[in-house]
Amino acid sequence: MENFTGLFGAQADPPPPPATLGFGPGKPPPPPPPPPGGGPGTVPAASAATAPPGADKSGVGCGPFYLMRELPGNTELTGSTNLITHYNLEHAYNKFCGKKVKEKLSNFLPDLPGMIDLPGSHDNSSLRSLIEKPPILGGSFNPITGTMLAGFRLHTGPLPEQCRLMHIQPPKKKNKHKHKQSRTQDPVPPETPSDSDHKKKKKKKEEDPERKRKKKEKKKKKNRHSPDHPGMGSSQASSSSSLR
Amino acid sequence: MAEKFDHLEEHLEKFVENIRQLGIIVSDFQPSSQAGLNQKLNFIVTGLQDIDKCRQQLHDIMVPLEVFEYIDQGRNPQLYTKECLERALAKNEQVRGKMDTMKKFKSLLIQELSKVFPEDMAKYRSIRGEDHPPS
Repeated sequence: MENFTGLFGAQADPPPPPATLGFGPGKPPPPPPPPPGGGPGTVPAASAATAPPGADKSGVGCGPFYLMRELPGNTELTGSTNLITHYNLEHAYNKFCGKKVKEKLSNFLPDLPGMIDLPGSHDNSSLRSLIEKPPILGGSFNPITGTMLAGFRLHTGPLPEQCRLMHIQPPKKKNKHKHKQSRTQDPVPPETPSDSDHKKKKKKKEEDPERKRKKKEKKKKKNRHSPDHPGMGSSQASSSSSLR
Repeated sequence: MAEKFDHLEEHLEKFVENIRQLGIIVSDFQPSSQAGLNQKLNFIVTGLQDIDKCRQQLHDIMVPLEVFEYIDQGRNPQLYTKECLERALAKNEQVRGKMDTMKKFKSLLIQELSKVFPEDMAKYRSIRGEDHPPS
């Protein structure tokens, strides 16, 4: 309060030095500095009112209004433009947002075998891990020679239960139209712990090698003739369009 | 454009089918299946060669990394496209709303300032009128 009265009240007390108050004594504002290089126009610096507005982009002390700047130019594309119509994405919008898109990956890739709806982290098959730890790429792909194939001589008999993963298919709603497709996808019946004995007996019959060969031949014939199966050479229009 | 995707898709489908058949052979292996197994193994190598050849045609294709999150979670990647479009539209609406509000505010401000500072606002309008038409 003493400092306050010292500033505005008492004449006897000299005004305290500016350093103690944090601001200087009241002075008239200095005249604006001349623009560098003479400025864009021939307007004298003294008449601030007639100085070209916005010429000094810093906006300080130019023109009649402090901080008056040039307006940004009008652009055709702003945040308020409907970008979907601008980039002709109406068809895509109706396709994806008009109808319900199914949640699971298996709905997008119905012909892919195995349990693809499981998260990739469960079986170490995530794409993220492929990016973070890319595999070491060697040279070219060379065919496996006779001596190398000796390493692939397997023991006869069925796999142990722990390794039987790929034949477990998720339960699918088998429609009449997709009857052929489900048959070709799943030649070996799904093995679940709840299988009863009669199913195991049926399986033993099916696992006869001769019957297997016949089944494979039948499958190949069906793959060639069936329009629904994407199989060995024909690409399905619906699945190919979904990738784009 | 579509052909290179078709080629790749074809090769991938053949490759997956090959692997699946290999799995069937291995699940209950018989000695007579050895020749078939060897053939399938070599099909894997040729399949990978074919897929590798497709790579050159597709080097300019960009895939957003966020799609991988969807796939890794076992979700349909079309949901990502759907959500992108919905977000774009929502953001458009939001920004349009902001711009409309700012325009209304500007006109209201000019109106009120003209009542309080008529001369200054006349100057302002004349300056702005030179640069840009009044919006």
